[in-house]
Amino acid sequence: MSETSANVLEVRNLCKYFPIKAGLFSHVVGQVHAVENVSFTLKRGTTMGLVGESGCGKTTIGKTLLNLTPKTSGEVIFNGSVHLDQLSARELRAFRPKIQIIFQDPYASLSPRLPVGEIIGEAVREHHIVPDGELNAYVSRIMKSCGLFDYQKDRYPHEFSGGQRQRICIARAIALNPDFIVCDEPVSALDVSIQAQIINLLEDLQKEFNLTYLFISHDLSVVQHISDTVGVMYLGNMVEYADKKEIFARPLHPYTRALFSAIPVPDPTVKMNRIILEGSIPSPANPPSGCKFHTRCRECRGVCAQKAPKPVDMGGGHTVACHMYDPESGYAQEKN
Amino acid sequence: MSEMIKDNNREPQENLALDDGRRVKVLSPGMMVFKRFIRNRLAIVGICILIFMFLFSFLGGVISPYRQDQVFYKVDSANKEYAGAVVNTDYRFATVDGSPLSTMVRATFNSQVKGKPEESVTFTADGATYTAKKVDDGFWLITAGQDLGKVALLGKIVDVKAAEGKEISPALKEAAAAAAAAGQTAFELEGDAYTLTRDVGKSYRLSGMSEIALASLLNFDAPDPARAGLAADYTFRRNCETAMHRGEKAFEAGGETYTLNAVSENDAEVLDRSGAPVARVSNIIVNPVTSGVLLPPAYREAVTDAIANHQTAFEYVNPEGVTEKHTIQMRGNTYIISTVQQTYLIDMYAAPGPDHPLGTDDHGMDVLTRLMYGGRISLMVGFIVMILENIIGIIIGGVSGYFGGWVDTLLMRFVDLFNSIPYYPMMIIAGAIMDSFEVDPYLRLYMMMAIMGIMGWTGVARVVRGQILSLREQDFMVATEATGIRVSRRIFRHLVPNVMPLLIVQATMGLGSIILTEATLSFLGLGIKYPLASWGSIINSSSNIYVMTNCWYLWIPAGLLIVLTVLGFNFVGDGLRDAFDPRMKR
Repeated sequence: MSETSANVLEVRNLCKYFPIKAGLFSHVVGQVHAVENVSFTLKRGTTMGLVGESGCGKTTIGKTLLNLTPKTSGEVIFNGSVHLDQLSARELRAFRPKIQIIFQDPYASLSPRLPVGEIIGEAVREHHIVPDGELNAYVSRIMKSCGLFDYQKDRYPHEFSGGQRQRICIARAIALNPDFIVCDEPVSALDVSIQAQIINLLEDLQKEFNLTYLFISHDLSVVQHISDTVGVMYLGNMVEYADKKEIFARPLHPYTRALFSAIPVPDPTVKMNRIILEGSIPSPANPPSGCKFHTRCRECRGVCAQKAPKPVDMGGGHTVACHMYDPESGYAQEKN
Repeated sequence: MSEMIKDNNREPQENLALDDGRRVKVLSPGMMVFKRFIRNRLAIVGICILIFMFLFSFLGGVISPYRQDQVFYKVDSANKEYAGAVVNTDYRFATVDGSPLSTMVRATFNSQVKGKPEESVTFTADGATYTAKKVDDGFWLITAGQDLGKVALLGKIVDVKAAEGKEISPALKEAAAAAAAAGQTAFELEGDAYTLTRDVGKSYRLSGMSEIALASLLNFDAPDPARAGLAADYTFRRNCETAMHRGEKAFEAGGETYTLNAVSENDAEVLDRSGAPVARVSNIIVNPVTSGVLLPPAYREAVTDAIANHQTAFEYVNPEGVTEKHTIQMRGNTYIISTVQQTYLIDMYAAPGPDHPLGTDDHGMDVLTRLMYGGRISLMVGFIVMILENIIGIIIGGVSGYFGGWVDTLLMRFVDLFNSIPYYPMMIIAGAIMDSFEVDPYLRLYMMMAIMGIMGWTGVARVVRGQILSLREQDFMVATEATGIRVSRRIFRHLVPNVMPLLIVQATMGLGSIILTEATLSFLGLGIKYPLASWGSIINSSSNIYVMTNCWYLWIPAGLLIVLTVLGFNFVGDGLRDAFDPRMKR
């Protein structure tokens, strides 16, 4: 296990299909293509933002990465060498502290019957991260660094506000001294002022513990604030992936452009040039042929409905999966 | 200035704010539940009811001076038939030598005499000739031919010798001597015929009709047991009756003179010389109604007196010196004598009183004591069935919910199967089977608990399964997996504590319904059987309209206890649910 590996996470062609079962004997009648051929790499100490509409597979990626739901195919490699699906149950359990997750709903993610100190310290004790004698002090320290007070240790989750609960969730993850945290829409259930606190806390912790985040969100301004790189998902596919600055400055994929055009600009003199997508997101159980976005794409040409686009490297790690940028696709030859 | 205000505002925030948690004492989870519970007034009412029920049932049975199956009796006076009296129409016989008269003779006499107005009847029975002479109505003397003695003629001297055991009166001696001297072979004396049969030489055998027995409709009773022999003495009887029938006031027997004190025509008292009663002669026979009872002669005398005087009631001082009132009723030709007697009766349906605060039931048992012991059974059934249901339900529901998949499907179909067994018909059949095998009441109790437990776990299984299924998908359970907590800890630290409150609430609420079910079954006569009691079976004993309307103390207390207990369990269940729910504010 190479701790020093520059890439905390490498994802190659990750697929996750959910079977659709029906009938008396629950036979499989179809597949929901929740995640299809997703590849990306995460460097240590960076944050990758993952954006997309509801139901495009963002959360599924997060859970599949952590092997909380088994993947269908593809590879997920932690720290350069660890394949979670190849570990035994015991090894997997031992590796768990390294990869953590923060859930969207802070109300459902804390056991209502355990006091906060126990929630945070339970796994710490389980994995012997600190000697038993120091557990209490360690939990206090973690709580303090997450903006919680020592005396709240004996409180129960229901006695906390949503923001405090999210701090508890973060503390629970941080306490295990992880390398990588999946932040699954950690702020979407909170009001805006609390969102800022939590985002700042996550940033502070990242600096303090050299953490790597996969920040899943549908809130582009939050992603813009926190991310180093951004991946844009549409219907299970990652349609564009680039540095934050690059992608916000130069969005290439028509979907990314439409999505980014919805970011409100806090300047009344600037005229919003919104691209309104028509129609609704197609069913992932029965995705459109070719490019999945072609049903709603303004730039759609014949080839889009026939062939799935390959990711094209546009330089500087900016990849985009669109026939428009693929000279070999024959898109340019077609008439609009 | 503004800095100062800021500082002033900040300071309490940093040290102690008004809503600072440090001001609030943090309680352990158990204490929190307890505190929330005791703040719930209804729950306290419920717990008080339950404590009362437990004390009542488990301590009450110890304190109560009665056993649960102790039957109480009461002394009550009832007008009971005590004796019967008849005017005698059957002849009673007495023989001279005291030996019983042969049946044949008696039967022949009865048939010959019946309805005949003749003064004398001659009949043969057993090869002998008998003559019955009527002295008066209902009094006959029976004579038979017998060897009386020998008459020897020795010249002028006639010697008459009586045969052994016989007596020859001087008149007869003279007559026999005269007849023998005259050479007659037969003669008559005082209406009796005698014969002389030549025996050897000048010796004759004297034979005559001599008295051997009497037949009478009168009955002799001796008031004094020491002189009972006298009433059986032939001469005494014969002379007494003869005197009676002749209307004489005195007679002689055995060298003593007795006075007759006639009460009526066929009824007289015999007094001896000192005036003490010797016998009572009457044609009325008094017999006790129940066999084995010896009626004292004084009583018979009192009855005879009353009948002779045509009284309908009389008083009798019994040997203990207590005056008893007796009434006489004529029924056919029998007099029925009834008296008010003290008898022991089962004290059924006794009204509440100092001995039995809630009266007695149809078995004469103390209702309060029965209620105490019945409470034990009812509560015990409730708890054991509840535990049984929960053990089965938690195991099956837990396995089903935790493993899911085909295990879940299989087990839930099994639950469906159990749910479609009709509960009451099943219990009725089980009750009937146990009835027909006359199962021991205790065994029956255990069987009933087992059946109720086996039939009732499905609800628990469904609840547990549903709860675990939903908990399993909750983010905090996913989080335990993500943080790598081991399975046993996940189940016992995260799943179980979250299912437990619901189970405790369910079990508490379920207790009430189990007690109700048991009461229903016992009420229908399918559950607890005598001598065991349960609240339901106590109500059952008042299932007829008379008891229902007149003996409120039989069913209202039992019904009240059931209602209160079920209510108590429900209140406590509600209170527990609220207390366990951490979302409930303190």
